[in-house]
Amino acid sequence: MPRPKVLVIDDEPDYLRIAARIAAKVGCAVLTAPTAIEGVELAQKVLPSLILLDVGLPDISGFEAARRLRRLPALAAVPIIFFTVRSELDMVSEGLKLGAAGYVLKPFDPDELLRRIKAAVFPA
Amino acid sequence: MKPSAFCLTSDPAVRAFFGSALTGFRLEFYPSAGAFLKTSPKSGLAVIDSALPDMSGRDLVSVLRGEKRTAGLLLVLTGPGQYSPAAAALCFENGADEYFPFPPDARLFRARLVNLLERSGARPRRAGRPEEYRFGALKISPEARTAHVGTRRLKLTALEFDLLLYFLKNQGRVVSRTVLLEQVWRQGEEAGPRAVDKRIEALRAGLGRTFGAKIRTVFGLGYIFKL
Repeated sequence: MPRPKVLVIDDEPDYLRIAARIAAKVGCAVLTAPTAIEGVELAQKVLPSLILLDVGLPDISGFEAARRLRRLPALAAVPIIFFTVRSELDMVSEGLKLGAAGYVLKPFDPDELLRRIKAAVFPA
Repeated sequence: MKPSAFCLTSDPAVRAFFGSALTGFRLEFYPSAGAFLKTSPKSGLAVIDSALPDMSGRDLVSVLRGEKRTAGLLLVLTGPGQYSPAAAALCFENGADEYFPFPPDARLFRARLVNLLERSGARPRRAGRPEEYRFGALKISPEARTAHVGTRRLKLTALEFDLLLYFLKNQGRVVSRTVLLEQVWRQGEEAGPRAVDKRIEALRAGLGRTFGAKIRTVFGLGYIFKL
């Protein structure tokens, strides 16, 4: 059976690496993109099982990227977990209103991210 | 008037516990952080299951505590698993008013929540960081910017002290060198990944063997501080 694919979109190489390592530990194939636009394009090609999405990206915000993904029929239902340093209440509310499967504050607890990836990719 | 509480959980067992332990309360249930935040809560008692489907209870508490308009909320966290003093301390440091490992004793749970509600009217809400962190012999005062192990005052530079505070606020989380440079470094300080490593070494030395060893290197990723 092919491994589920997790797409990590983050412009911060350290977080890309950490998230990729955690997703791989769960048994997923990991793809990465450093900008929102590249991430949305890659998502259309690979149809991931889960997208880990930073909010403060250099081109467009992670929220805008999520809106674009949601408008694509093939990706309308893919779970998105925001992982970000943005801890303001309004930002969190907006992220969750977009239907995010999760909102994880950076720096994050690796076990917490692992649990959330697992729950999103292998729902009980 | 009946006391009331917002109960945040998606777990039927936790929901059933809240229902039976808080008989006589008016309870409103929310299955996720998102559902609760949609109501724009400003005050009242919120009992939060740490394992919410969309956000950790600890992150949610920290977000609600960081915001003036939600400062009137009383926040109670319940966490799964065994009681650990470090886990409990983290919850309080993030701004929780109460913490219970799940399942708590129902009578104790109820009594502490009733007391919390009764006291809250007269008690000024605090915001921001605690006045003091204590971990065994290690004591850190953010306001006074002092750190002690026992009675010995640690000699830390301003940057090392800020690093220590950042680690304390982010215990159990991997922090990369880049994040430390962004969040902690000041202008004029020597920057770059090697400079971070040097300062971490200095901080470890300043903390001494026991507490210095709590800052662990995560190879290729950064550092994690675990007490």
